[in-house]
Amino acid sequence: MSDRETSLEAIIDFSHPGFRLCLNIQVPTAGVTALIGPSGCGKSTLLRLLAGLETPAAGHIRHGDQVWFDRARRIDLAPRHRRVGLLFQDYALFPHLNVARNIAYGLPRGVDRDTAIALWLSRLQLDGLAARRPDALSGGQRQRVALARALASEPAVLLLDEPFSAVDFSLRQALRLLFQEVVADRPVPTILVTHDLEDVRQVADRVGVLIDGELRQSGPTAEVFAQPCDAEVARVLGWHNLLPVSSWDSRTACGAWGSLPLALDEPTISADVIAIPPDGPRLDPERGLPIEVVRVTDMGGYHAVWCRLSDRSPLRVHLPRSAPCPTPGLRTRLDVPVETIIPLPARSAALPFALPLTTATLARRDP
Amino acid sequence: MSLLDCAPTALLLSLQVAGVVLVLFLVAGIALGYALSQPFPLRGLLDALVSLPLVFPPIAIGFFLLMLCGRHGAIGGPLHEWLGWDLVFSFPALVLAAFIAGLPLVVKPIQSAIEGQARELIEVSCTLGKGRWETLFLVVIPVIRRHIAAGLTLGVGRSFGEVGITLMLGGNILGSTETLSLAIYNRVLDGNFDCATRLSVLLGVLSLSLFMLLRRLGRL
Repeated sequence: MSDRETSLEAIIDFSHPGFRLCLNIQVPTAGVTALIGPSGCGKSTLLRLLAGLETPAAGHIRHGDQVWFDRARRIDLAPRHRRVGLLFQDYALFPHLNVARNIAYGLPRGVDRDTAIALWLSRLQLDGLAARRPDALSGGQRQRVALARALASEPAVLLLDEPFSAVDFSLRQALRLLFQEVVADRPVPTILVTHDLEDVRQVADRVGVLIDGELRQSGPTAEVFAQPCDAEVARVLGWHNLLPVSSWDSRTACGAWGSLPLALDEPTISADVIAIPPDGPRLDPERGLPIEVVRVTDMGGYHAVWCRLSDRSPLRVHLPRSAPCPTPGLRTRLDVPVETIIPLPARSAALPFALPLTTATLARRDP
Repeated sequence: MSLLDCAPTALLLSLQVAGVVLVLFLVAGIALGYALSQPFPLRGLLDALVSLPLVFPPIAIGFFLLMLCGRHGAIGGPLHEWLGWDLVFSFPALVLAAFIAGLPLVVKPIQSAIEGQARELIEVSCTLGKGRWETLFLVVIPVIRRHIAAGLTLGVGRSFGEVGITLMLGGNILGSTETLSLAIYNRVLDGNFDCATRLSVLLGVLSLSLFMLLRRLGRL
């Protein structure tokens, strides 16, 4: 079966008072696609729309050749017919059923129940817990039962809403590895919604950044993390040193924090912000931006130095352990190599929304 | 003077009415609570109708029902004409009165529980391939059983104590449609306070026993 035949495609326009979600996504079967964004940007709503628990105002949702939703053709497949494995943030295990019965709840007809339960108990490292009720399980065990339940139903699409958020840090690492073992190789479109960047880096092959109900950027994980399209996306991706630019003077960016030269042939007029990767700058009392060191933390392989610029903007710099370690309160200068400075627009346009969402247009495209 | 001498048929009649409305509450209460927790057209109207007995005077509801179900009413007229059956002043009228009075007390806790703790579980069940009925029996009822028990306790308790609607629809006919509550009312009017006291204690014990029983069932 080709990837085209089983991938998930959706053009969605959904709104409720004070919020609008408007996007166009394509999720291939191979690998995991992560969706990140600030709280309230519509990540969980998108999963609910794909699962059929909410209804878009316009658009269509298609899994391979099967149309799940099409406003123009008045198609709206019920959630139970979409075969979606949806893992809720708080797992939503059936409290009156034990682990085995929770896992068996969505088993397709014809599947040997005992064999399937034993298989998923073993794969999710839940041996010995079959008879326990959810209230007698730890957070990590509940998460694995919920994942086993979703996978045992042999879903056509897997949707995971913050699957690791309710477990502690040490357990989260182990669960990510387990998740990769049992999920990543399955040939079904998989969407992971998270606000934890480590989840994205470790688990996702692709990432989409959702801001204010729009898909602002998407692509391979490493590429998106390395080249955010604007300052808002950069913030979502955990970039620290974003300095607003008030004016461009020839090849120099100026702001309340000072000025920095740029290695550009032409000033980037659309850039409103410059980003300074924390690994680039070095302390140099002779030249660069005046700073005051606020705090220094030993991060193992390097020192993280938190500074304040002249306008009290915060700046984070990573210094190699071999470099002299500054002390808090030190007033010095920061030399920022021009080639490391990245100009960014404050806000870019959303990714092209494929069509104007009129029913007529949709009908023509999807006869 | 024994209790039987005070109201020979009232206790049995009240128990019979309570038994029938318990079954009706179980079916209609869960069905309406489940339906009202889902979005559908005219949900607000149905919700208002179910909740009406909580805010509308029972005697007035009884009067309107009497007009509707009487021999010349919109419902009672056709029943009399086509089936030769009179609803008012009969056992079914007592059941209808108790049912309408207690229904919101059954539906509201169930609706609230479904909208709260069961909503996400219903959604999970649907994504796992189950339909509405399977979800109702496999998830909703087991998960909210304590709320169902609480609703039934309140509803049947209310039906034991119902006077206003019962008086209008049942007619308070001695030996025929005189329930325990009406018997107390009648004995007080007769000045027989001794009987009224005995019947009141009996009604209290009955309601309390029912409360204990259903609470125990809800814990299972």
